[in-house]
Amino acid sequence: MAPELALGGLQQWLQVVIEAPGSVKTALRSREAARLVRPARTRDVVRPSHRGLSAAERVGIYQGMYLPRMMEALESDYEGLAHFLGPTAWTRLVRAYLSAHPSRSYTLNELGRRLPEFVRHARVPRAAFCYDLARLERAVAEVFDAPEAKPLTEKELAALRPRDLERARLVPVAALRLLVLDHDAGTWLDSLRGDAHAHPPVRRKRTRALVYRRRYGVKRREQAEAAFALLEDLVAGAPIGRALTRALARRGAARLAGADAAFRLFREWAAMGLFQGRARRSA
Amino acid sequence: MNRFGLPDLGIGIGLRTVHFGEILSGRPALDWFEVLSENFMDTGGRPLFVLDQVVERYPVALHGVSLSVGSTDALDRGYLQKLKTLAKRTRARWVSDHLCWTGVLGRNTHDLLPLPYDRATLRHVTRRVKQVQDALERPLVLENPSTYLEYARSTMTEWEFLSELCDAAGCGLLLDVNNVYVSSYNHGFDSRQYIDGIPADRVVQVHLAGHTNEGTHILDTHSGRAIPQVWKLYERLVARTGPVSTLFEWDASIPPLAAVVREAAKARRYRTSARATGTDGA
Repeated sequence: MAPELALGGLQQWLQVVIEAPGSVKTALRSREAARLVRPARTRDVVRPSHRGLSAAERVGIYQGMYLPRMMEALESDYEGLAHFLGPTAWTRLVRAYLSAHPSRSYTLNELGRRLPEFVRHARVPRAAFCYDLARLERAVAEVFDAPEAKPLTEKELAALRPRDLERARLVPVAALRLLVLDHDAGTWLDSLRGDAHAHPPVRRKRTRALVYRRRYGVKRREQAEAAFALLEDLVAGAPIGRALTRALARRGAARLAGADAAFRLFREWAAMGLFQGRARRSA
Repeated sequence: MNRFGLPDLGIGIGLRTVHFGEILSGRPALDWFEVLSENFMDTGGRPLFVLDQVVERYPVALHGVSLSVGSTDALDRGYLQKLKTLAKRTRARWVSDHLCWTGVLGRNTHDLLPLPYDRATLRHVTRRVKQVQDALERPLVLENPSTYLEYARSTMTEWEFLSELCDAAGCGLLLDVNNVYVSSYNHGFDSRQYIDGIPADRVVQVHLAGHTNEGTHILDTHSGRAIPQVWKLYERLVARTGPVSTLFEWDASIPPLAAVVREAAKARRYRTSARATGTDGA
Protein backbone atom coordinates (compact mmCIF):
# COMPACT_ATOMS: atom_id res chain seq x y z
CA MET A 1 0.00 0.00 0.00
CA ALA A 2 1.39 3.44 -0.92
CA PRO A 3 2.33 5.63 2.03
CA GLU A 4 -0.13 8.31 0.93
CA LEU A 5 -2.94 5.76 0.93
CA ALA A 6 -1.96 4.61 4.40
CA LEU A 7 -2.04 8.20 5.60
CA GLY A 8 -5.26 8.73 3.70
CA GLY A 9 -6.91 5.81 5.47
CA LEU A 10 -5.81 7.15 8.81
CA GLN A 11 -7.21 10.57 8.00
CA GLN A 12 -10.50 9.14 6.76
CA TRP A 13 -10.88 7.15 9.95
CA LEU A 14 -10.22 10.11 12.26
CA GLN A 15 -12.53 12.36 10.26
CA VAL A 16 -15.35 9.82 10.28
CA VAL A 17 -15.06 9.49 14.05
CA ILE A 18 -14.87 13.25 14.61
CA GLU A 19 -17.94 13.93 12.49
CA ALA A 20 -20.03 11.14 13.98
CA PRO A 21 -22.82 12.06 16.42
CA GLY A 22 -23.05 10.50 19.86
CA SER A 23 -20.29 9.33 22.16
CA VAL A 24 -16.82 8.62 20.89
CA LYS A 25 -17.33 4.93 21.68
CA THR A 26 -20.38 4.89 19.42
CA ALA A 27 -18.44 6.80 16.79
CA LEU A 28 -15.55 4.33 16.85
CA ARG A 29 -18.03 1.48 16.44
CA SER A 30 -19.84 3.07 13.50
CA ARG A 31 -19.72 0.93 10.37
CA GLU A 32 -17.67 3.44 8.40
CA ALA A 33 -15.08 3.91 11.17
CA ALA A 34 -14.86 0.22 12.07
CA ARG A 35 -14.25 -0.64 8.40
CA LEU A 36 -11.01 1.35 8.64
CA VAL A 37 -9.96 0.60 12.21
CA ARG A 38 -11.59 -2.04 14.37
CA PRO A 39 -12.61 -0.43 17.68
CA ALA A 40 -10.49 -2.90 19.66
CA ARG A 41 -7.44 -1.75 17.67
CA THR A 42 -7.84 1.95 18.46
CA ARG A 43 -4.82 1.89 20.77
CA ASP A 44 -2.73 0.45 17.93
CA VAL A 45 -3.41 3.68 16.06
CA VAL A 46 -3.45 6.24 18.88
CA ARG A 47 -1.26 6.04 21.96
CA PRO A 48 -2.92 6.30 25.36
CA SER A 49 -1.79 9.41 27.23
CA HIS A 50 0.74 9.43 30.04
CA ARG A 51 -1.91 11.30 32.04
CA GLY A 52 -4.34 8.40 31.96
CA LEU A 53 -6.49 9.15 28.92
CA SER A 54 -7.26 6.12 26.78
CA ALA A 55 -6.73 6.23 23.03
CA ALA A 56 -10.50 6.58 22.55
CA GLU A 57 -10.68 9.45 25.03
CA ARG A 58 -7.92 11.29 23.21
CA VAL A 59 -9.81 10.95 19.92
CA GLY A 60 -12.88 12.05 21.87
CA ILE A 61 -11.26 15.44 22.58
CA TYR A 62 -11.36 16.21 18.88
CA GLN A 63 -14.79 14.65 18.40
CA GLY A 64 -16.23 16.66 21.29
CA MET A 65 -15.13 19.96 19.79
CA TYR A 66 -16.60 19.37 16.32
CA LEU A 67 -20.29 20.04 16.92
CA PRO A 68 -19.80 23.11 19.18
CA ARG A 69 -17.46 24.63 16.58
CA MET A 70 -19.97 24.14 13.77
CA MET A 71 -22.85 25.35 15.92
CA GLU A 72 -20.96 28.50 16.80
CA ALA A 73 -20.29 29.17 13.11
CA LEU A 74 -23.93 28.63 12.16
CA GLU A 75 -25.21 30.70 15.07
CA SER A 76 -23.16 33.66 13.92
CA ASP A 77 -25.27 33.70 10.73
CA TYR A 78 -28.54 32.29 12.12
CA GLU A 79 -28.85 33.84 15.56
CA GLY A 80 -32.60 34.37 15.11
CA LEU A 81 -33.31 30.83 13.96
CA ALA A 82 -31.25 29.35 16.80
CA HIS A 83 -33.10 31.53 19.29
CA PHE A 84 -36.50 30.70 17.86
CA LEU A 85 -35.90 26.95 17.96
CA GLY A 86 -34.23 26.85 21.37
CA PRO A 87 -31.16 24.75 22.27
CA THR A 88 -32.66 21.27 21.87
CA ALA A 89 -34.34 21.71 18.49
CA TRP A 90 -31.47 23.86 17.20
CA THR A 91 -28.88 21.23 18.15
CA ARG A 92 -30.96 18.51 16.51
CA LEU A 93 -31.31 20.60 13.36
CA VAL A 94 -27.57 21.36 13.18
CA ARG A 95 -26.67 17.69 13.63
CA ALA A 96 -29.01 16.70 10.80
CA TYR A 97 -27.80 19.54 8.60
CA LEU A 98 -24.12 18.71 9.10
CA SER A 99 -24.81 15.11 8.31
CA ALA A 100 -26.43 16.14 5.01
CA HIS A 101 -24.16 19.08 4.25
CA PRO A 102 -20.76 18.86 5.95
CA SER A 103 -18.43 21.76 5.29
CA ARG A 104 -16.78 21.49 1.91
CA SER A 105 -15.20 24.90 1.85
CA TYR A 106 -12.07 26.47 3.29
CA THR A 107 -14.30 29.05 4.97
CA LEU A 108 -16.99 28.54 7.60
CA ASN A 109 -18.90 31.42 6.02
CA GLU A 110 -20.13 28.93 3.43
CA LEU A 111 -21.31 26.36 5.96
CA GLY A 112 -24.83 27.74 6.31
CA ARG A 113 -25.50 28.38 2.61
CA ARG A 114 -27.97 25.51 2.29
CA LEU A 115 -29.58 25.80 5.69
CA PRO A 116 -32.67 27.77 4.56
CA GLU A 117 -33.66 25.12 2.03
CA PHE A 118 -32.81 22.37 4.52
CA VAL A 119 -34.92 23.82 7.32
CA ARG A 120 -37.88 24.15 4.97
CA HIS A 121 -38.20 20.38 4.88
CA ALA A 122 -36.82 19.63 8.34
CA ARG A 123 -38.78 18.38 11.33
CA VAL A 124 -38.83 21.64 13.24
CA PRO A 125 -41.68 23.58 14.82
CA ARG A 126 -43.19 26.14 12.42
CA ALA A 127 -40.96 25.03 9.53
CA ALA A 128 -42.47 27.58 7.11
CA PHE A 129 -41.63 30.43 9.46
CA CYS A 130 -38.15 28.99 10.10
CA TYR A 131 -37.62 28.93 6.34
CA ASP A 132 -38.46 32.62 6.06
CA LEU A 133 -36.33 33.51 9.07
CA ALA A 134 -33.38 31.54 7.70
CA ARG A 135 -33.72 33.09 4.24
CA LEU A 136 -33.72 36.56 5.74
CA GLU A 137 -30.69 35.85 7.93
CA ARG A 138 -28.81 34.29 5.02
CA ALA A 139 -29.52 37.38 2.92
CA VAL A 140 -28.10 39.56 5.70
CA ALA A 141 -24.92 37.44 5.80
CA GLU A 142 -24.51 37.59 2.02
CA VAL A 143 -25.07 41.33 1.86
CA PHE A 144 -22.55 41.87 4.66
CA ASP A 145 -19.78 40.25 2.60
CA ALA A 146 -20.82 41.33 -0.91
CA PRO A 147 -18.36 43.41 -2.94
CA GLU A 148 -18.54 47.16 -2.43
CA ALA A 149 -19.57 49.38 -5.36
CA LYS A 150 -19.92 53.12 -5.81
CA PRO A 151 -23.66 53.72 -5.83
CA LEU A 152 -25.59 55.78 -8.36
CA THR A 153 -26.39 59.14 -6.77
CA GLU A 154 -29.73 60.95 -6.90
CA LYS A 155 -28.00 63.63 -8.97
CA GLU A 156 -26.70 61.12 -11.49
CA LEU A 157 -30.13 59.56 -11.73
CA ALA A 158 -31.79 62.93 -12.25
CA ALA A 159 -29.33 63.67 -15.04
CA LEU A 160 -30.76 60.86 -17.16
CA ARG A 161 -32.68 62.39 -20.04
CA PRO A 162 -36.26 61.24 -20.68
CA ARG A 163 -35.32 59.60 -24.00
CA ASP A 164 -32.51 57.71 -22.20
CA LEU A 165 -34.88 56.48 -19.53
CA GLU A 166 -36.79 54.45 -22.06
CA ARG A 167 -33.85 52.20 -22.83
CA ALA A 168 -31.53 52.64 -19.84
CA ARG A 169 -31.07 49.82 -17.37
CA LEU A 170 -30.14 50.27 -13.74
CA VAL A 171 -27.40 47.97 -12.50
CA PRO A 172 -28.04 46.80 -8.94
CA VAL A 173 -25.20 46.71 -6.42
CA ALA A 174 -24.04 43.25 -5.33
CA ALA A 175 -25.05 44.05 -1.76
CA LEU A 176 -28.79 43.84 -2.42
CA ARG A 177 -31.28 41.02 -1.90
CA LEU A 178 -35.04 41.08 -2.54
CA LEU A 179 -37.12 38.59 -0.61
CA VAL A 180 -40.80 37.73 -0.64
CA LEU A 181 -41.65 36.10 2.68
CA ASP A 182 -44.84 34.48 3.93
CA HIS A 183 -44.21 35.71 7.47
CA ASP A 184 -43.04 38.96 9.00
CA ALA A 185 -39.66 37.51 9.87
CA GLY A 186 -38.09 40.96 9.95
CA THR A 187 -40.16 42.12 12.91
CA TRP A 188 -39.35 38.89 14.71
CA LEU A 189 -35.61 39.45 14.12
CA ASP A 190 -35.92 43.03 15.36
CA SER A 191 -37.36 41.69 18.61
CA LEU A 192 -34.01 40.01 19.36
CA ARG A 193 -32.48 43.42 19.99
CA GLY A 194 -32.24 44.53 23.58
CA ASP A 195 -32.79 42.38 26.62
CA ALA A 196 -36.60 42.20 26.64
CA HIS A 197 -36.89 39.68 23.80
CA ALA A 198 -40.62 40.34 23.54
CA HIS A 199 -41.17 38.34 20.39
CA PRO A 200 -44.29 38.96 18.31
CA PRO A 201 -46.53 35.97 17.68
CA VAL A 202 -45.70 34.04 14.53
CA ARG A 203 -48.39 34.50 11.95
CA ARG A 204 -48.63 34.42 8.20
CA LYS A 205 -48.22 37.75 6.50
CA ARG A 206 -46.93 38.29 2.98
CA THR A 207 -43.89 40.56 3.37
CA ARG A 208 -41.58 42.02 0.78
CA ALA A 209 -38.17 42.79 2.17
CA LEU A 210 -35.09 44.57 0.86
CA VAL A 211 -31.75 43.74 2.41
CA TYR A 212 -29.03 46.17 1.44
CA ARG A 213 -25.89 47.82 2.75
CA ARG A 214 -25.12 51.44 3.46
CA ARG A 215 -21.71 52.58 4.68
CA TYR A 216 -20.84 48.94 5.38
CA GLY A 217 -23.86 48.47 7.66
CA VAL A 218 -26.53 45.93 6.61
CA LYS A 219 -30.09 47.38 6.53
CA ARG A 220 -33.50 45.81 6.10
CA ARG A 221 -36.64 47.48 4.88
CA GLU A 222 -40.13 46.36 4.03
CA GLN A 223 -41.40 47.51 0.64
CA ALA A 224 -44.97 47.92 -0.59
CA GLU A 225 -46.13 45.49 -3.26
CA ALA A 226 -46.16 47.89 -6.19
CA ALA A 227 -42.75 49.35 -5.41
CA PHE A 228 -41.30 45.89 -4.84
CA ALA A 229 -42.59 44.65 -8.19
CA LEU A 230 -41.01 47.62 -9.97
CA LEU A 231 -37.72 47.06 -8.17
CA GLU A 232 -37.77 43.36 -9.02
CA ASP A 233 -38.14 44.23 -12.70
CA LEU A 234 -35.27 46.70 -12.55
CA VAL A 235 -33.01 44.29 -10.69
CA ALA A 236 -33.84 41.60 -13.24
CA GLY A 237 -32.46 43.94 -15.91
CA ALA A 238 -35.58 45.39 -17.47
CA PRO A 239 -35.09 48.81 -19.14
CA ILE A 240 -36.51 51.59 -16.98
CA GLY A 241 -39.19 52.46 -19.51
CA ARG A 242 -40.50 48.91 -19.76
CA ALA A 243 -40.41 48.41 -15.99
CA LEU A 244 -42.39 51.64 -15.51
CA THR A 245 -44.97 50.71 -18.11
CA ARG A 246 -45.49 47.36 -16.42
CA ALA A 247 -45.70 48.96 -12.97
CA LEU A 248 -48.42 51.34 -14.10
CA ALA A 249 -50.38 48.62 -15.90
CA ARG A 250 -50.57 46.13 -12.99
CA ARG A 251 -53.84 45.57 -11.19
CA GLY A 252 -54.75 46.07 -7.56
CA ALA A 253 -52.12 46.69 -4.90
CA ALA A 254 -49.36 45.82 -7.35
CA ARG A 255 -50.18 48.88 -9.47
CA LEU A 256 -48.01 51.94 -9.01
CA ALA A 257 -49.95 55.17 -8.36
CA GLY A 258 -48.28 57.09 -11.18
CA ALA A 259 -45.02 58.20 -12.76
CA ASP A 260 -44.39 60.72 -9.96
CA ALA A 261 -44.54 57.90 -7.42
CA ALA A 262 -42.01 55.99 -9.52
CA PHE A 263 -39.57 58.87 -9.58
CA ARG A 264 -39.95 59.34 -5.83
CA LEU A 265 -39.02 55.69 -5.47
CA PHE A 266 -36.03 56.06 -7.79
CA ARG A 267 -34.73 58.92 -5.64
CA GLU A 268 -35.30 56.90 -2.48
CA TRP A 269 -33.53 53.85 -3.88
CA ALA A 270 -30.64 56.01 -5.07
CA ALA A 271 -30.36 57.44 -1.54
CA MET A 272 -30.30 53.87 -0.22
CA GLY A 273 -27.49 53.02 -2.65
CA LEU A 274 -29.30 50.17 -4.37
CA PHE A 275 -27.85 50.79 -7.84
CA GLN A 276 -24.32 51.10 -9.07
CA GLY A 277 -22.87 54.38 -10.19
CA ARG A 278 -23.76 54.17 -13.82
CA ALA A 279 -26.76 53.23 -15.87
CA ARG A 280 -26.06 51.18 -18.96
CA ARG A 281 -28.06 51.63 -22.12
CA SER A 282 -29.51 48.52 -23.62
CA ALA A 283 -28.14 47.37 -26.97
CA MET B 1 17.86 37.21 11.95
CA ASN B 2 16.22 34.31 10.14
CA ARG B 3 17.77 32.86 7.03
CA PHE B 4 15.03 34.25 4.79
CA GLY B 5 15.90 37.86 5.57
CA LEU B 6 12.34 38.40 6.75
CA PRO B 7 12.19 41.36 9.14
CA ASP B 8 11.64 41.39 12.89
CA LEU B 9 8.33 43.27 12.94
CA GLY B 10 8.31 43.65 16.72
CA ILE B 11 5.22 42.98 18.85
CA GLY B 12 1.82 42.42 17.28
CA ILE B 13 -1.61 40.95 17.89
CA GLY B 14 -4.23 39.25 15.75
CA LEU B 15 -6.67 41.53 13.92
CA ARG B 16 -10.10 40.68 15.38
CA THR B 17 -13.55 42.02 14.46
CA VAL B 18 -14.36 43.13 18.02
CA HIS B 19 -11.40 45.53 17.91
CA PHE B 20 -12.10 47.09 14.51
CA GLY B 21 -13.59 50.26 15.97
CA GLU B 22 -10.80 50.78 18.51
CA ILE B 23 -8.11 50.18 15.90
CA LEU B 24 -9.59 52.64 13.42
CA SER B 25 -10.39 55.36 15.93
CA GLY B 26 -6.98 55.31 17.59
CA ARG B 27 -3.57 54.09 16.73
CA PRO B 28 -2.80 51.32 19.20
CA ALA B 29 0.81 51.01 20.32
CA LEU B 30 1.56 47.92 18.29
CA ASP B 31 4.17 47.17 15.67
CA TRP B 32 2.14 44.92 13.38
CA PHE B 33 -0.99 42.80 12.92
CA GLU B 34 -1.55 39.20 11.97
CA VAL B 35 -4.55 38.69 9.71
CA LEU B 36 -6.56 35.46 9.46
CA SER B 37 -6.46 34.84 5.73
CA GLU B 38 -9.79 33.05 5.36
CA ASN B 39 -11.69 35.90 7.04
CA PHE B 40 -10.77 38.29 4.25
CA MET B 41 -10.60 36.16 1.10
CA ASP B 42 -14.26 36.35 0.18
CA THR B 43 -15.50 39.57 1.66
CA GLY B 44 -15.96 42.92 0.00
CA GLY B 45 -17.67 44.46 3.00
CA ARG B 46 -16.57 46.10 6.20
CA PRO B 47 -13.84 43.55 7.06
CA LEU B 48 -11.96 44.31 3.83
CA PHE B 49 -12.55 48.05 4.28
CA VAL B 50 -10.98 47.85 7.75
CA LEU B 51 -8.14 45.65 6.55
CA ASP B 52 -7.23 48.11 3.80
CA GLN B 53 -6.92 50.86 6.41
CA VAL B 54 -4.90 48.68 8.78
CA VAL B 55 -2.51 47.85 5.96
CA GLU B 56 -1.94 51.57 5.38
CA ARG B 57 -0.86 51.99 9.01
CA TYR B 58 0.84 48.73 10.01
CA PRO B 59 2.79 45.87 8.49
CA VAL B 60 0.75 42.66 8.35
CA ALA B 61 1.39 38.94 7.95
CA LEU B 62 -1.23 36.46 6.75
CA HIS B 63 -2.06 33.44 8.89
CA GLY B 64 -4.30 30.68 7.56
CA VAL B 65 -6.20 27.77 9.06
CA SER B 66 -7.44 25.93 5.95
CA LEU B 67 -4.42 25.20 3.79
CA SER B 68 -4.55 21.60 5.05
CA VAL B 69 -1.00 20.99 3.93
CA GLY B 70 -0.91 17.52 5.48
CA SER B 71 -4.14 16.26 3.91
CA THR B 72 -4.16 13.48 1.33
CA ASP B 73 -6.74 15.42 -0.69
CA ALA B 74 -5.41 17.47 -3.59
CA LEU B 75 -4.38 21.02 -2.74
CA ASP B 76 -7.15 23.55 -3.34
CA ARG B 77 -5.73 25.62 -6.19
CA GLY B 78 -8.56 28.15 -6.00
CA TYR B 79 -7.77 28.73 -2.36
CA LEU B 80 -4.08 29.22 -3.12
CA GLN B 81 -4.87 31.74 -5.84
CA LYS B 82 -7.08 33.75 -3.48
CA LEU B 83 -4.40 33.57 -0.81
CA LYS B 84 -1.83 34.90 -3.24
CA THR B 85 -4.14 37.73 -4.27
CA LEU B 86 -4.79 38.68 -0.65
CA ALA B 87 -1.08 38.57 0.15
CA LYS B 88 -0.42 40.97 -2.70
CA ARG B 89 -3.24 43.33 -1.68
CA THR B 90 -2.06 43.47 1.93
CA ARG B 91 1.66 43.52 1.12
CA ALA B 92 1.92 40.62 3.57
CA ARG B 93 5.44 40.22 4.92
CA TRP B 94 4.92 36.44 4.95
CA VAL B 95 2.18 33.81 4.73
CA SER B 96 1.79 31.14 7.40
CA ASP B 97 -0.42 28.16 8.16
CA HIS B 98 -0.21 25.03 10.30
CA LEU B 99 1.52 21.68 10.17
CA CYS B 100 -1.75 19.76 10.14
CA TRP B 101 -4.62 18.57 8.02
CA THR B 102 -8.19 19.85 8.29
CA GLY B 103 -10.17 17.34 6.23
CA VAL B 104 -10.26 14.70 3.51
CA LEU B 105 -12.76 13.48 0.90
CA GLY B 106 -13.53 17.09 0.04
CA ARG B 107 -14.74 17.90 3.54
CA ASN B 108 -13.37 20.31 6.11
CA THR B 109 -13.65 19.73 9.86
CA HIS B 110 -12.19 23.21 10.46
CA ASP B 111 -9.91 21.75 13.09
CA LEU B 112 -6.11 21.59 13.04
CA LEU B 113 -5.76 17.81 13.08
CA PRO B 114 -2.48 16.08 13.95
CA LEU B 115 -0.24 14.21 11.56
CA PRO B 116 1.78 11.10 12.32
CA TYR B 117 5.45 11.98 12.42
CA ASP B 118 7.15 9.37 10.25
CA ARG B 119 9.16 9.21 7.06
CA ALA B 120 6.21 8.62 4.75
CA THR B 121 4.36 11.63 6.13
CA LEU B 122 7.51 13.73 5.94
CA ARG B 123 7.86 12.95 2.23
CA HIS B 124 4.18 13.70 1.67
CA VAL B 125 4.22 17.04 3.49
CA THR B 126 7.54 18.08 1.92
CA ARG B 127 6.11 17.57 -1.55
CA ARG B 128 2.99 19.59 -0.64
CA VAL B 129 4.89 22.46 0.96
CA LYS B 130 6.98 22.77 -2.19
CA GLN B 131 3.80 22.89 -4.29
CA VAL B 132 2.35 25.61 -2.07
CA GLN B 133 5.55 27.63 -2.24
CA ASP B 134 5.60 27.34 -6.03
CA ALA B 135 2.02 28.56 -6.17
CA LEU B 136 2.56 31.44 -3.75
CA GLU B 137 6.02 32.26 -5.10
CA ARG B 138 7.38 32.74 -1.61
CA PRO B 139 8.48 30.55 1.31
CA LEU B 140 5.67 29.11 3.38
CA VAL B 141 5.90 29.59 7.14
CA LEU B 142 4.49 26.65 9.11
CA GLU B 143 3.26 26.67 12.69
CA ASN B 144 3.59 23.78 15.15
CA PRO B 145 0.04 22.84 16.23
CA SER B 146 -1.31 22.04 19.66
CA THR B 147 -2.17 18.35 19.64
CA TYR B 148 -4.27 16.16 21.89
CA LEU B 149 -3.30 12.75 20.54
CA GLU B 150 -0.21 10.97 19.27
CA TYR B 151 -0.17 8.25 16.65
CA ALA B 152 1.39 4.92 17.46
CA ARG B 153 3.12 4.92 14.07
CA SER B 154 5.09 8.11 14.76
CA THR B 155 8.82 7.51 14.75
CA MET B 156 10.05 11.09 15.19
CA THR B 157 9.44 13.88 17.64
CA GLU B 158 7.59 16.92 16.36
CA TRP B 159 10.70 19.09 16.49
CA GLU B 160 12.69 16.49 14.55
CA PHE B 161 9.90 16.33 11.98
CA LEU B 162 9.77 20.12 11.65
CA SER B 163 13.54 20.43 11.40
CA GLU B 164 13.73 17.88 8.60
CA LEU B 165 10.72 19.39 6.86
CA CYS B 166 12.31 22.84 6.91
CA ASP B 167 15.51 21.47 5.41
CA ALA B 168 13.77 19.39 2.77
CA ALA B 169 11.12 21.90 1.71
CA GLY B 170 12.92 25.16 2.47
CA CYS B 171 10.07 26.54 4.53
CA GLY B 172 10.10 28.78 7.62
CA LEU B 173 8.74 28.25 11.11
CA LEU B 174 6.11 30.05 13.10
CA LEU B 175 6.92 28.72 16.53
CA ASP B 176 3.91 28.80 18.83
CA VAL B 177 5.48 28.64 22.26
CA ASN B 178 2.14 28.03 23.96
CA ASN B 179 1.54 25.11 21.61
CA VAL B 180 4.91 23.65 22.57
CA TYR B 181 3.88 23.85 26.21
CA VAL B 182 0.39 22.43 25.55
CA SER B 183 1.69 19.48 23.55
CA SER B 184 4.49 18.80 26.06
CA TYR B 185 1.85 18.61 28.82
CA ASN B 186 -0.40 16.39 26.73
CA HIS B 187 2.31 14.06 25.47
CA GLY B 188 4.91 14.15 28.23
CA PHE B 189 7.99 15.45 26.43
CA ASP B 190 10.39 18.12 27.67
CA SER B 191 9.34 21.47 26.24
CA ARG B 192 12.86 22.86 26.72
CA GLN B 193 14.26 20.07 24.56
CA TYR B 194 11.76 21.08 21.86
CA ILE B 195 12.81 24.74 22.00
CA ASP B 196 16.47 23.74 21.89
CA GLY B 197 15.87 21.31 19.06
CA ILE B 198 14.25 23.52 16.45
CA PRO B 199 16.40 25.26 13.85
CA ALA B 200 16.58 28.81 15.21
CA ASP B 201 17.43 30.40 11.87
CA ARG B 202 14.15 29.10 10.41
CA VAL B 203 11.99 30.89 12.98
CA VAL B 204 10.28 33.80 11.28
CA GLN B 205 7.57 34.44 13.86
CA VAL B 206 6.45 33.44 17.35
CA HIS B 207 2.96 32.97 18.79
CA LEU B 208 2.08 33.38 22.45
CA ALA B 209 -1.31 32.71 24.04
CA GLY B 210 -3.27 31.51 27.02
CA HIS B 211 -4.80 28.03 27.31
CA THR B 212 -7.22 25.97 29.40
CA ASN B 213 -5.92 23.23 31.65
CA GLU B 214 -8.45 20.40 31.99
CA GLY B 215 -6.20 18.33 34.25
CA THR B 216 -5.89 15.30 32.01
CA HIS B 217 -4.99 17.54 29.08
CA ILE B 218 -4.62 21.17 28.04
CA LEU B 219 -6.76 22.77 25.36
CA ASP B 220 -5.31 25.51 23.20
CA THR B 221 -8.19 27.94 23.71
CA HIS B 222 -6.33 31.24 23.22
CA SER B 223 -8.09 32.48 26.32
CA GLY B 224 -6.57 34.74 28.92
CA ARG B 225 -2.94 35.50 29.64
CA ALA B 226 0.04 33.28 28.94
CA ILE B 227 1.26 31.39 32.00
CA PRO B 228 4.77 32.00 33.45
CA GLN B 229 6.09 28.69 32.08
CA VAL B 230 5.21 29.83 28.55
CA TRP B 231 7.02 33.13 29.06
CA LYS B 232 10.04 31.16 30.31
CA LEU B 233 10.00 29.10 27.13
CA TYR B 234 9.72 32.29 25.09
CA GLU B 235 12.75 33.70 26.86
CA ARG B 236 14.65 30.50 26.10
CA LEU B 237 13.64 30.67 22.45
CA VAL B 238 14.52 34.33 21.99
CA ALA B 239 17.93 33.63 23.52
CA ARG B 240 18.45 31.35 20.51
CA THR B 241 16.75 33.32 17.76
CA GLY B 242 17.37 36.88 18.82
CA PRO B 243 14.51 39.38 18.66
CA VAL B 244 11.86 37.85 16.43
CA SER B 245 8.40 38.98 15.27
CA THR B 246 6.10 38.07 18.14
CA LEU B 247 2.34 37.93 18.27
CA PHE B 248 -0.09 37.44 21.14
CA GLU B 249 -3.30 35.54 20.31
CA TRP B 250 -6.50 36.07 22.29
CA ASP B 251 -9.60 34.48 20.73
CA ALA B 252 -11.96 33.49 23.55
CA SER B 253 -13.77 36.05 25.71
CA ILE B 254 -11.73 38.69 23.94
CA PRO B 255 -11.15 41.71 26.22
CA PRO B 256 -10.86 45.35 25.09
CA LEU B 257 -7.94 46.07 22.82
CA ALA B 258 -5.86 47.71 25.57
CA ALA B 259 -5.79 44.49 27.62
CA VAL B 260 -4.56 42.42 24.67
CA VAL B 261 -1.95 45.06 23.82
CA ARG B 262 -0.76 45.07 27.46
CA GLU B 263 -0.32 41.29 27.46
CA ALA B 264 1.52 41.36 24.14
CA ALA B 265 3.81 44.12 25.38
CA LYS B 266 5.20 41.80 28.07
CA ALA B 267 7.21 40.19 25.30
CA ARG B 268 9.30 43.35 24.91
CA ARG B 269 11.37 42.75 28.03
CA TYR B 270 12.44 39.31 26.81
CA ARG B 271 13.28 40.65 23.39
CA THR B 272 15.30 43.45 24.95
CA SER B 273 17.29 41.05 27.12
CA ALA B 274 18.00 38.90 24.05
CA ARG B 275 19.26 41.96 22.22
CA ALA B 276 21.37 42.95 25.26
CA THR B 277 23.10 39.57 25.31
CA GLY B 278 23.88 39.96 21.64
CA THR B 279 22.03 36.86 20.46
CA ASP B 280 21.76 36.92 16.71
CA GLY B 281 20.16 33.57 16.14
CA ALA B 282 23.03 32.23 14.08
